[in-house]
Amino acid sequence: MVVLAKHVEHIAVRATGIISGLATVLVMLAPSQAFALPAFARQTGQNCVACHAGGQFPELTPYGRMFKMTGYTIGERSVPLSVMGVLSYAKVNDTSKSDDPAADFQKNGAPMFATGSVFLAGKVTDNIGVFIQNTYDNYASQSAEGRFKGHSSADNMDIRYADHFIGNDRDLVLGLSVNNNPSVPDPWSSAAAWMQYVPGASPTSHQFADGPYPGYGAGSNLAGVNVYGYWNKTIYAEVGTYRTANQAFSFMSAGIPNGGTTHLDGNNNPYWRFAYSREWGPHNLMIGTSGMNAHVYDDPTDTSDPNSLSHIKNVGIDAQYQYLLDPHTVTAQIAYMKQKQNYSVNSVAVAASPYFLADGVTPVATPNDSDTTNTLRAKLSYIYQAKYGGSLAFFNVTGTTNTRNQSSGYDNSPGSGLITTNDPNATGITSTRVGGNLSGSPATRGWTYEAFWIPVQYVRVGAQYTTYSKFNGAADNYDGFGRNAKDNNTLRLYVWAAY
Amino acid sequence: MEYKQIILVAGLVALGTGCANVERSRDLANPSVPGKVLAEQVCSNCHGIDGNSKSPNIPRLAGQQPGYLTNQLNNFRAKQRTDPDGSINMWGISRHLTDAQITGIADYFSKQKPQSNASTADPGLLAAGKEIFEKGVPEQNVIACSACHGPKAQGIDAFPRLANQHANYIVKQLTVFRDTQGRPGTPMEAISHPLTGANEEAVAAYLQAFPD
Repeated sequence: MVVLAKHVEHIAVRATGIISGLATVLVMLAPSQAFALPAFARQTGQNCVACHAGGQFPELTPYGRMFKMTGYTIGERSVPLSVMGVLSYAKVNDTSKSDDPAADFQKNGAPMFATGSVFLAGKVTDNIGVFIQNTYDNYASQSAEGRFKGHSSADNMDIRYADHFIGNDRDLVLGLSVNNNPSVPDPWSSAAAWMQYVPGASPTSHQFADGPYPGYGAGSNLAGVNVYGYWNKTIYAEVGTYRTANQAFSFMSAGIPNGGTTHLDGNNNPYWRFAYSREWGPHNLMIGTSGMNAHVYDDPTDTSDPNSLSHIKNVGIDAQYQYLLDPHTVTAQIAYMKQKQNYSVNSVAVAASPYFLADGVTPVATPNDSDTTNTLRAKLSYIYQAKYGGSLAFFNVTGTTNTRNQSSGYDNSPGSGLITTNDPNATGITSTRVGGNLSGSPATRGWTYEAFWIPVQYVRVGAQYTTYSKFNGAADNYDGFGRNAKDNNTLRLYVWAAY
Repeated sequence: MEYKQIILVAGLVALGTGCANVERSRDLANPSVPGKVLAEQVCSNCHGIDGNSKSPNIPRLAGQQPGYLTNQLNNFRAKQRTDPDGSINMWGISRHLTDAQITGIADYFSKQKPQSNASTADPGLLAAGKEIFEKGVPEQNVIACSACHGPKAQGIDAFPRLANQHANYIVKQLTVFRDTQGRPGTPMEAISHPLTGANEEAVAAYLQAFPD
């Protein structure tokens, strides 16, 4: 074993080598059958590409969307378990502008087992089916000595009841979903929960891999009940409401400490989603809108004070186009999310930015009581023979500038202000390197380029390169320590496998 | 808040009871579900409720000959049709169908009304396709399609209806017949052998646009 370990270590010198090597091992270990692998494929007996466009996950074909909307009940009951794992490697463009590169860019340039998931997924009855994911993050936390510790916690969960009514002039799917993440029940992949297909990893070297996505400010690991209908494969409507995933719903945030979950006010945090879809020839199109209105406690461990509730409103529009004609799969997605957050009364009362202007004398502007952000993501992908693919994505975040959101700034050192991490003049004011925000603006913009290979249907090997032209409000010196947006450009290689 | 847990569990149990919903079941391993129900609840998701599928990747089944449909479902179930579309999409889903369910599914789709299939093929291509369909290509020893599939391409028993079928699907199947052993036991293997790519494109375009 020691010899083997040394051999592997030797291979690991070049990350591309180990990743392609692992891919080869996975391919060799895999059975030769072309179907019947993860839980849903075992249930229907079909190949993954029947439901997943071009074999890419999680994007669904029109049939895959019907499979989901009819409650994962097509097929026959089988072993409802699947597993998924991600090996990952990330390298950040520039790690020099950091006091502590080992902490700011953990595992930079080091291949690693990033995450693994276990799924309980499949048909339960003629009307009930489940999709329950639990994810193990190998780098969830660090000990005082800096050693990483892994941890498992609840990931996406979707428990459904659905029926499908068919008549001469009627095709109506009606369903109910109990889920833990707004938009998880959604069948289209321009929805917030599904646009990002490869999970990231915790170490800070991965923080810049791929850019931001449109999402809901209330976050995930909530508990929601949604009802939905899909009429004549044309009109989709879904409404629901969310609450804190505690008490009877605590399994939906299992593994996450109380202080790490979002706590909502009561049961009335509504979510809605409407979409129009059309299919013609090899083309299909969806245009939709969605939104959520949530009241979130500042401190998840203290829900006693209504003045500690902030109010987050999300409204989004999204669209997805697919061209599916063997051997080609083309997908275009666009999603835009506007978020307005009114900060809590308590938060507004105590909010005063600690920072000063460069003179070290004049305080920065008083923080605003609310913020608005606009997140746009557009993605175009092409896959040939469900094997070779590439994608190009653009992301752009804009929003209000607010001194509340600064995590870097000048202190009031004698003479003139300083931006420091170690506070040499004991002003009590420090700044954040690398992840810091000097401007108070969330503006971030860039592109992600990706090429991938699907050697067999449940293994995917990919290379992503993400470039930033703006980060945390600036192209240059966004953290106050001279770090530029392009320094965050990141190469990421991954091997994804499921069984 | 113990009562909330009780309500949740009771609700799930209530939803789960009476779980055999045979009239609208999507269970492919329950022999008591009628073929018509499976046609509506499962097959229709790709082939269309009325059998007029929209995607050219998926064959139209409306008005198809029940004998042909039964044969194909039997072949899928027995894994004898090995063309990629058949094995990827149809093997698993047909693996536990009963003979009665197969008959029911075939009956359902054979009774659906075929709709016209919009075509943008140019008139020259359609004319060439018509010629092949009606007269074959004598100089290549290709017989007329209409000899077996009927003058209106409506099919006869085990010979499938071809009228209004997606051109892309027809070309794909002709390629399977000509180049592989993926669909054994059909005279098409020999018949398609002399066809050129241009022949196939023309006759497929004509069949998709087939005039009423």
